[in-house]
Order: sequence, then structure tokens, then C-alpha cells
Amino acid sequence: MRTYWIVLVLVAVLLGGAPRLYAQQPTPGQAAETVRAALVQAQLAMSDDPQAAAVHLTTAQMVYAEALAATLRRDAPAADARIRVGLTWAEQALAAGNGPAFAAARAQIWTAILAGGYQVVTTALAADDAVTAQRWLPVREFRHATRFSRPNADATRAVQRTLRRESDAATALLAVHADLLDTYQARLTEALATLRSANAQGFALRSAEAAALAEGYVAILAPAYAEQRGTVALAELETALATLRIAAVDGTGITPILEQVETRLSGFRAAPLSPAELSRRTGQMLRFLSLVPIEYARGVRNGQVTIDLEIREAITFHAGAHAAFADLRDQLEQRDRAATDRIVDQFAAIDAILAAAGGRSAVADPAEVTQRSEALLSELRTLLPPEWQLQDGGADFDVVRTALDQMEQAVRAGEYALAESARLEAYAIMEIGPEVKLIAFAPQLKPVIEGYFWYGQAEYKGLAYLIARNAPPSEIAATRVELDKALAEAERVLAGSNAPAAITFNASIIVFREGLEAVLILASLLGSLKIGAQRRFRWPLWIGAGIALLATVLTWALARGALLAMARFGERLEAIVSLIAIAVLLLITNWFFHDIYWKSWMSNFHQQKRRILGGSAGQWLGLMLLGFTSIYREGFETVLFLQALVLEGGTQVVLLGVGIGLVLTLLIGLAVFGLQAKLPHKKMLIVTGVLIGAVLLQMVGNTVHVMQVIGWMSIHPIRWLELPYWIGFWFGLYATWEGILFQAAAASFVIGSYVLAEHMHKRTRIKQTPAATPRGA
Amino acid sequence: MQRLTVTALNVFVFLLAACGVAPAPAPQIQSATDSIDLSGIKDFLLNQSQELTTAANDLQAAADRYYALAETAGFDYAALWSSQRDAVISELEAARMAWMAASPAYEKMEGIVAGTPSLAQFDVDLDAGAAAADDPESAVSFDITLPDGRVLAQPGNLFGVTESTLWGTEPAYDSGVVADWNADGTVAFGENLPDANVLKGSADLLATMASDLEAAGRAWTPSESDAFTALVVMVPTMNEYFGSWRDSRFVLGDASTQRDFAVISRLSDIVDILSGLELVYAQVRPRVERVDTDQAAQIATDLRALKAFVADVYAQEQGGKRFTPEEADTLGAEAQNRATAITGQISQVAEALGVTIVE
Repeated sequence: MRTYWIVLVLVAVLLGGAPRLYAQQPTPGQAAETVRAALVQAQLAMSDDPQAAAVHLTTAQMVYAEALAATLRRDAPAADARIRVGLTWAEQALAAGNGPAFAAARAQIWTAILAGGYQVVTTALAADDAVTAQRWLPVREFRHATRFSRPNADATRAVQRTLRRESDAATALLAVHADLLDTYQARLTEALATLRSANAQGFALRSAEAAALAEGYVAILAPAYAEQRGTVALAELETALATLRIAAVDGTGITPILEQVETRLSGFRAAPLSPAELSRRTGQMLRFLSLVPIEYARGVRNGQVTIDLEIREAITFHAGAHAAFADLRDQLEQRDRAATDRIVDQFAAIDAILAAAGGRSAVADPAEVTQRSEALLSELRTLLPPEWQLQDGGADFDVVRTALDQMEQAVRAGEYALAESARLEAYAIMEIGPEVKLIAFAPQLKPVIEGYFWYGQAEYKGLAYLIARNAPPSEIAATRVELDKALAEAERVLAGSNAPAAITFNASIIVFREGLEAVLILASLLGSLKIGAQRRFRWPLWIGAGIALLATVLTWALARGALLAMARFGERLEAIVSLIAIAVLLLITNWFFHDIYWKSWMSNFHQQKRRILGGSAGQWLGLMLLGFTSIYREGFETVLFLQALVLEGGTQVVLLGVGIGLVLTLLIGLAVFGLQAKLPHKKMLIVTGVLIGAVLLQMVGNTVHVMQVIGWMSIHPIRWLELPYWIGFWFGLYATWEGILFQAAAASFVIGSYVLAEHMHKRTRIKQTPAATPRGA
Repeated sequence: MQRLTVTALNVFVFLLAACGVAPAPAPQIQSATDSIDLSGIKDFLLNQSQELTTAANDLQAAADRYYALAETAGFDYAALWSSQRDAVISELEAARMAWMAASPAYEKMEGIVAGTPSLAQFDVDLDAGAAAADDPESAVSFDITLPDGRVLAQPGNLFGVTESTLWGTEPAYDSGVVADWNADGTVAFGENLPDANVLKGSADLLATMASDLEAAGRAWTPSESDAFTALVVMVPTMNEYFGSWRDSRFVLGDASTQRDFAVISRLSDIVDILSGLELVYAQVRPRVERVDTDQAAQIATDLRALKAFVADVYAQEQGGKRFTPEEADTLGAEAQNRATAITGQISQVAEALGVTIVE
């Protein structure tokens, strides 16, 4: 009786007393936690102070009755029944001083509360009652955090969106199912691992608790299990788990029944990964794994570990690949158990090699790691369904982040050369995957991300700049935080562009846009060669353009294989190609005003003279080169852009888009060339001259930008000048002093060339004008 | 007409630029910091790191004096013990006292250091990192070059190396000479003569690293992301701490083979760490309250309850109770459950606030 009053006072204080937190009825989450904690305290007090244990148990009973029971009885009667049974068992165990039985009862009560909370949330969402769902969602557990994962907020986010009417309750329901089923399956796996470990150590209470937890989690996952395996299989599993719990409580042998339970659960995944998640895990696994031999080879020389950080990077990448494999394993086992088992062994073999090298107990030859990694990759690629292996942008971002983690780790260790290597690695992965898509779909983010990777963005210095100056870890971390935000934004933007129709559409837009640029350039050049004998100069342009098209096709063919190698130099390659194009354009512009334009109003004397002297061969070569560089530059960009799409959506989907884009380009080309034919030569020359000047300015601006991105040129931003991103994207106009000045210089060159040409033209005309002939002469 | 055609083409290109491939809005990237005042976190870190630096310098000075004694004896430890017994005990006790001051000074701020990406490597090297031979993935980043030229390659964290050297839990760092400090005829735990080279080399590095941490702390400006990341990273590590407590002398007694955590109970460390994290949470709580006042209060209550739970176990241990390994395991699981629940709540709030948790 005394105990009852003590508890009553405690509960009164807890539920309605002074603390501000409980000034009102406790939330379901608070009440559930109170019940759980009280039961733990009861178990801990059992052996030393049974009376205190009884107080704690009574507290749990009363809080449950006051704060949770009514709702659970209505919305989750099965859970409520299990809780009541559990509380009765707990009373009996306490009275009998049976610790294992109490631990099992405690686990049953807790998992039934979790099941009840889950049921209330889903019932509420089904009735479009997001308020109740939000109130009861905290009656849940989370996945234990690991080095690679933090608790996610999918369910919370989905319910909040529903509350704000940004999404419907059905969508939230799916998110809640996925989040909670995934969580409880992870907890089930942990409970079985704990059971095995506790049993091995002879921990009776821990064994009983873990066995009952496993049974409780399976009760939550039961509908999913029955749906996948049938009700008979579920009944067999439940029987096995009940037997396991009883054996654990009684302290009899559990090993055979535990193995039986694990066998029945093998291959079961309560919340199957979505196709996007499967692709993402696959991408992570393959990318991480391909990096393992590279890092290992860098860290080992002549049978000795020479760079520890490289070995640690190899270990980290291997662990990342293995973690992704663990998520896929169940499904892979269903496809081919024997192959999956072989893969498990292969992972273990590489793990052992890396661990030995890390501990310096044995250092395997890098060739062996490469051979084993390639064999494992080959086995995986055979086993993994092709649709999972389509490139997933999210996986790219994951790998980029991991490489950046390695960079920061190296910085903290004072290993700046290694940090630079890791930074370049992250950037290379960014380039071959997400960046080309960013250029196509969210170009405004490309300079932001590049800035953080290289030489600065806004008030933050770029990573390349900081590492080159051995900046302190805090400065590098600050830039990293900003880079992470930009990467997250990019990932979010790109996440919605992977539907086949969208990929086809984007491919067609890319081809059309680049094709349009090529048509305009070609039209401008050809338009300047419409007069008389100059028409023959159109041929070298056409030939150059034709070769560029062939080179583009060849680049496409080579790109897949050589992408990784090229990507590391992608911006440099682009800069070199652009510089060549600018040089040619400047020469041609100068020649254009001083030669073609000038000569168009002059006699063909000089042209005949040059032909005689063999100068036309240089003109031919120059025009061919101009045609080639103008078109190939677009073709090269297009190939790079499209590679990302091919990896994401497959060749056929992209080729369909390419076809559409080419047809549109062809139509525009016909229209442009058709109209050109009707243009008066003189006006056309002026118009095309202006167009060529515009192309030159755009090319200069973009080339300066690229050179700044790769660090070949300094950056002095014009901070007061804010230009919309499309100005830079389409006209190469960026708010940097270097870009503006070089564009101004190019403009001055063109205009100066024109003015000079005009001046020379006037002088020549004056000279050539015959003196006035006297009337009658 | 012709001019119109060219103009139309240009307009078409503009339209394509504006509405075709790329979305027009500028990127929405949030600022790293927000309006709340996090200076309390930095002040706390600086106070603790100054305390650590002072204690580490004291340890270094005592290690230097012990080294000088050993050097005078030509590193003949038997001769040293027989000729300089009182001086040796005096210097070693001074070194141990300094270590006992340095360790909790660090533990109180460990939650912040380990949970802040830009400072986290200090935690690995000072307190959490393993020896490369044991766990290469989480190994420390440094080697220790001893005064006699020997190199201890990635030997594990500095508190562990200095502790095991001072109290003799790592035979490789001991002189091997039997030293019955109190002359009671029994060589008890802690009655040992450390290898002076190892003690000096590790104490020197500890002092340097403590000073570096203090400097890094001064240069650091805490952000919301730092604070939330510290909470999410550190709170759920209870299992790990309880695991090292379960395997330590405080639970297993002489049966323990664990090198570290033999002098100060890991439970004390956990209480210290949670105290630091409570302070961190107090700084960001106003932000959490903007999202959900109940949740803000609940997190504070749960953090306080977790610390009280561990403090209660520690008090029982201080009161003479010797927990069994299974009890230690159960307590660890309970602490981990509570910690995971807290981390879950913090993660949800961080998501709602749009605060980045660094992985």
C-alpha cells in the first residue's frame, strides 16, 4: 500500500506537477520514454532493491494507463494486448525474482509500444489526420548511428510536409512505412547479433532481452513478411521466435533455433529499396571498390607501406563498398546465393589484406589487390541487374563526399600533398559524373562548385588555393561546409532529371542548343564567302566542319572508355581547344577585314597575286581549321554532356534525344542557309562580321572563365557587379576583371581591325581614284 | 527583313537560354552561421584547452625531470631505482598528478572537439585513436620519435600512451625493473618504472598537441552546423564508452587486459563529455525552440536524464559497487538507447531548421 502511494505521488508529479515540461498531458513520445526508462530502472534495481523495482514497474504501468492506453486500445488493440500481457509477465517475474523473464517482458512491452505508435501514425495518415500522426511519430526508434550514417528524418519530413499541405497524406504514409520498417529491420538484425554475442558470453538477462526484442520487432514487420513469404511462413517464423525467447529465458541452448530464425529471415527486406536506392547503393559499391586498388597502390612501395593515409583511404573505400553491399545482399542472395557467397568471401579476402597492411603485419603486392578487386568487380557486374548499374548521380555525390572526407583527414594530419590528391580525386569524380549534368541542367551551380573546389567562391577561398598554402584545417573545413551545401543543392536539382522522357528531352535540347551554335558560326563564316570567287573558300569550311563531325563521332566512341582519364584534364582540354579556336578566330577576323571584306570592294588583284604566290594554301588550311575548331568545340562539349546522360539513362534513350536534336538543328540550318542565300552580300558581310565578333567575345569570355577555374589565370571578382547566370552561360560574360578586360581587348582588336581596314580601304580608294580628267581631254 | 530575321534568331536564342535548358533562379545556398550566439561554446572550449595545456606542460616538466634522472643513471633503471628511489617516486607522482588533471580537462571538451569536423583529428590523436596495429582505419595520425631515436609508429592516442607508460599497463613502455614503491613486499598495480624515453617522447608530443588544440580553438568560430554535428556525432557513442568501461580494471579488475582507462573510470569521462554536450545544446536550444518548444524541452530533459543515469552508476561505483560485465553491458545498452533517441530527435530538428549535419 505504501508503495502504491509513493508511485501515485511520483506519477502525479510526472504528469501534472511542477515541471513546465509536463504542465500539460505528456506527449506520447515522452510517455513512452518514461515507461521504457522505468522498466529499465526496475530491472536494474531487481537484484538489490526489489521494492524500488516494484515502484518503477508501477510507474510504468500507471504512465501507460494514463497517457497511452486509450489511444492504443482504439487504434492498435493487438499492441495494447501485448503490452498488458507483458506488464503482467513483468509483475510475475519481479515477484519470482526472475531476471531473464523480466528482461524479456520489458522487451515485449517496449516493442509493443513501438508497434502501437507505428499503427497510430499510419491509421492517422490513412484518415488524412497529419496532426495526430505528428504527435505519435516520436513513439519510435531510430537506426543506431554509424560512421557512415546518421538517423534520417524521412518520416518526420514527410509528415511535416503533409501538415503544411505541401504533400498528401498518402505520400507521407509511404515515407513513414519506408523509414520505420527500415529502422525496425535494422534493430532486428542488431537484436539477433546481440543475442548471439550475449549468449556466447553467458549473459542470461541480455540474451533474454535480445530474444524478446527480436520477437517484438518481427511482430512489427509481420505484415511485410506475410506479404512476401505468405502467412504460413510467418506463422513458422513466429513460432521459432517464441521458442527462441523461451529458450533464452530458460537458459537452454539457443544456437540451433537462432540459426533457424536467421535462415527464415535470410533475404527478407521489410522495406525493399526503391529502384533509385538500389541504383545508388550499386553506384556507391562499384565506385568505392574501384578506388580501393588505386589508393592501395599509392600507399605501398617495394613491399612496404610508405603512405599510411593512402592505406587508410583504401580501407575506408572498402568499408564503404562493403556497407553498400550489405544493403543489397538480401536481394542478391535471391538472385544467386552461390555467387553472393563468393562475393562475401572476396570482400573478406580484400578486407584481410587491407587490415594486414594497415597494421603492417603483412603487405600484399598492389597487383594482388588490383587483381582481387577487379575479380570482385567482375563478379558483381555479372550478378547485379543491369538496371541497377545505370549511373546514379546520388552515388557520385556520395563518393565525392567521401573523397573530400579523406582530403580533410589528410589536412588534419598535415599531409597537404595527399590532401591535394584526394581533392583532385573528388573533383575528377565530380567532373565525369555530376558536373557535366550540372552544365546541362543547372549551370548556375557549376561555377559555384568549381569555385569551392579551386580558387574561391564569394568570401570563401577555394580548396586548391587553401591546400596550396597549407591553410589550417579550420579554414579548409569552412570551405568544405560551403561546398557540401552547394553539392547538396546540386544533388537536389539533379535528382529530378532521371526519367527516361526527361533524359531524352534533355539530350535533344543539348544537341539542339550546341547544334544551333554550330549553325550560327558556320552560317556567319559561310555568309562572308558569298561573293564571286570567294565561294570556293566555303569548301575548306565545309570540309573542316565535316571532319569535326567525324571527330565528334570518334570522340563519342572513345569517350566511354577514356572518360576517367580525360575527365581529370577535361577543363584543361577545353581551355586548350578554346585557345586554339580564339587564336584562329583572331587571325581570321583580322584577315577577314583586311582581306576578304577589304578585297570584296577591291579588285581581285591581290587575291590573284596571293594565289600565284601560293598563299591560298594557307587560307585553305586556316579555313579548314576554323571550320574544324568551331564545330568540334561544340561536338566535344556535346559528347561530354551526353556521356552523363548515357550513363544515367542508357544509350537508346539518349540517341532518341540526339536524333530529335539533330532534326531540329537541321531544320534551323536549312532555314538559316536558305535565308542567307537571299541576303545581299555587303550587308551579309557586315552581319556575319558582327556575329563572328560576338562569337569571338563569347569564346574569349568562356575561355578566361575556364582558365580561372583551373587556376591558369587569377580571379579578381567585380563584387559590385551581379550578372544573371545566363549572361555568362550564353555570352561568356562573368563578373571578373580578367574576363571583362580580355573581352574588351578582343572587342578592341576586332573594332580596331575594322577601323584600320576601313582606313586602309579609304586610302587605297583615294590612291586608285584617277585624277579628274579635264573636260574634253 | 533580313535584319529582322537575324534579330529573331537572337531572340530565339535568348528565349532558349531563358526557358530551355537551365532553370533561371540563382542557387539557394544558406549561410554557414545564423543569428544565435554560440560564443559560449568557444569560451568553454578555450577554458578547457587552457587547463589542458597547463596540465600537459606540468606533465612534460615532470617527464623531463624523470628523464634527467634516468639519463644520469645511464638509463640503468635498476641503478636508478636503488640510488634515486625517492626522487623517482616524487617525479612520477608529479607526472601522474598532472596526467590526472589533463585527462578530465580534455574529457569535458571532448564532445565539442570530437564532434566538430575541423577539430576532430585532435580527438583521434589525443584520446580516441587506435594503434595502427590494432585498427588501422581509426588509427592516430602520428609517430612518436623518442629521444634515443626509436620511433613508435602510430602507437595509439596520446592519453593512452602516457597513461600506459605512467602506470605500467603496456609492458613495451616499461623499464621492466621491479619497483615496490611502498616496500610492502608486493608489487601492486601502478608500482612500476616507466621507460623514460617513451615517457618524455609522449609527454612532449602531448604538450605540443594540447598547445595546438588551444590555438585551433582560438581560430575556430563555432557554427550551428558544428554544434548540431557535435551533438549528433558524440551523443550516440555511449556504447563505445561503456564498452571500454566494461573491459577496464574498474569492472574486470586484474583480469582486464585493456591498456587504457585504468586510472580514471570511463564513467567519469562520460559524465564529463555529457556535461560539455549539455552546454552545446544549451547554446542551440533557442533555435530548437523556434521549431518546437516541447521538443526543445524534451531533448534537454533527455540529455539531463542520460547524464544523471551515468552519474548515478558512477556514484554507485565510487561507493564501492563492482558491476558485473553483464550489468555493464546492460547499462551500456540502456545508455545507447537513450542516446540514440536523443540523436534521433536532434536530427529531426536539424532537418527542420535546415542545418547541415556533417558526416
